[in-house]
Amino acid sequence: MAKVIVASVGYTRVGDHWDKSILDLAVEASKKALKPYPNIRPEVIIVGNMFSSQSSRQEHLGALLASALNLTRTPAFKVEAACASGGVAFNIAYNKIRSGEVSSALVVGVEKMRDLDTPEASLALSMAESAEYTQFIGASFLSLNAMLARLYSETYNVSRDELSAFPVIAHSNAATAEHAQFRKAISVEDVSRSPLVSDPLRLLDCAPVGDGAAAVLLASDAFDEDDGARVDVLSSKISTNIFSVYERDDMLKFDATRDAASKAFSEAGISVEDVDVLEVHDAFSVTAALSVEAMGFSREGEGAKDAAKGIYALRGRYPALTFGGLKGRGHPVGATGIYQIIELWLQLKGRGNANQVKGCRIGVAQNIGGVDTTSVVSVLARR
Amino acid sequence: MAISYWRRRDRYYRLLGNKCTRCNAEYYPPVYICRRCGSESLIDAEMPGTGKILTYTILREVMSGFEGQQPIIIGIVQLDNGVKVLGQIVDTPIDALKIGCKVRTVFRKIREESSAGQIYYGYKFTVLC
Repeated sequence: MAKVIVASVGYTRVGDHWDKSILDLAVEASKKALKPYPNIRPEVIIVGNMFSSQSSRQEHLGALLASALNLTRTPAFKVEAACASGGVAFNIAYNKIRSGEVSSALVVGVEKMRDLDTPEASLALSMAESAEYTQFIGASFLSLNAMLARLYSETYNVSRDELSAFPVIAHSNAATAEHAQFRKAISVEDVSRSPLVSDPLRLLDCAPVGDGAAAVLLASDAFDEDDGARVDVLSSKISTNIFSVYERDDMLKFDATRDAASKAFSEAGISVEDVDVLEVHDAFSVTAALSVEAMGFSREGEGAKDAAKGIYALRGRYPALTFGGLKGRGHPVGATGIYQIIELWLQLKGRGNANQVKGCRIGVAQNIGGVDTTSVVSVLARR
Repeated sequence: MAISYWRRRDRYYRLLGNKCTRCNAEYYPPVYICRRCGSESLIDAEMPGTGKILTYTILREVMSGFEGQQPIIIGIVQLDNGVKVLGQIVDTPIDALKIGCKVRTVFRKIREESSAGQIYYGYKFTVLC
């Protein structure tokens, strides 16, 4: 098996890009990722994107981007797995290099969300769920997560302030992250005073809508002349769960994440205790809590409580959401999984500036589509 | 939208799910293969009209197609046969909502496309206690 190196990265700030199209954003991130290695011509281009047809009336993103980058003849295609599109695109590229099929790949996650108004964005996101049985009755993605939050709080006696801990950590880290959508710290009081959007979830429990693009150049062989430090991908696993959360026996178990994490950790030869930095899919406060539980960082019912104790803070035992996560950095859905990889890369390279986790060697990213319907867990290491 | 709605009308109007002929497991939405025993022999089965609320939310930001309906109360209801179903909860004061409340199905308008467009109907729940 060939080794897989994250050679270089490129990304836009997340937020409002009124003056840029979906292709403008993808090209900007791609050019930055390709620039450090002019001698590497990617042998495949994989684009992670969820709803360009809704936001931009545009599909065929692979060839569109390849052509814009003057990389025609390169195989190029889009993959879609709702909010896990980026993570799945990364996984496919990783496996193509690892198997020896190609020796380099450009993976680009992109989403243009702000051209849609809120009801349209909500409809586009609801396509991650069943059109016939969830979307039909008006149950948005937000409402499903809100019902989980109520069930979670009732089942494990989780307080409002405990539930607020992940958003507070996210914003605290986003405050000093240059590419974050919200460079602003918030308090637990700010969360509990923010408007109810789907109770018990409040505005500050929920990741925002934003535009962004993130790209990584993967290669089987690349040497960084600047620092000589190498970031390798140790493993990447995808798993799936019963499609809709209400069809599952236990709605509070993220079995796709549990399965993907267990396989990814095993293949990487690591255990939970070895992880130095963690990017979890905190689309909603409750999602982050259930995710850290499913991966084994917290016990069942204790994810939010552990966050409130500081375990997931930047100087905690398992620093998480180190550049703001989905909540603070922002969540341009198809790009999110690639932003996570980039943020691990920055950490493992020691380029985290104010957000640096000192001495970190092993990083984990978890990217979800739907309510833990698809989950991708990847393990990266500094070599 | 009209055809995909027509195709599922009995699912929406009568809460018609399905049932495994081998192990009797029941499903709504219907499944293609029994999740419990793997059998592909399934027949349509109407779900019971009563159950209890497992969790709920009051959705204040609705998606496209539901403008003007907010707030919408949405719940996950466990029917008397154990099947969990997602649905709107209507005709219920917000103060009366509690986990464990008994509910029954009612036939209601889900939404309309425009003042002259298609109207979609289906089941919703109303609180009994």
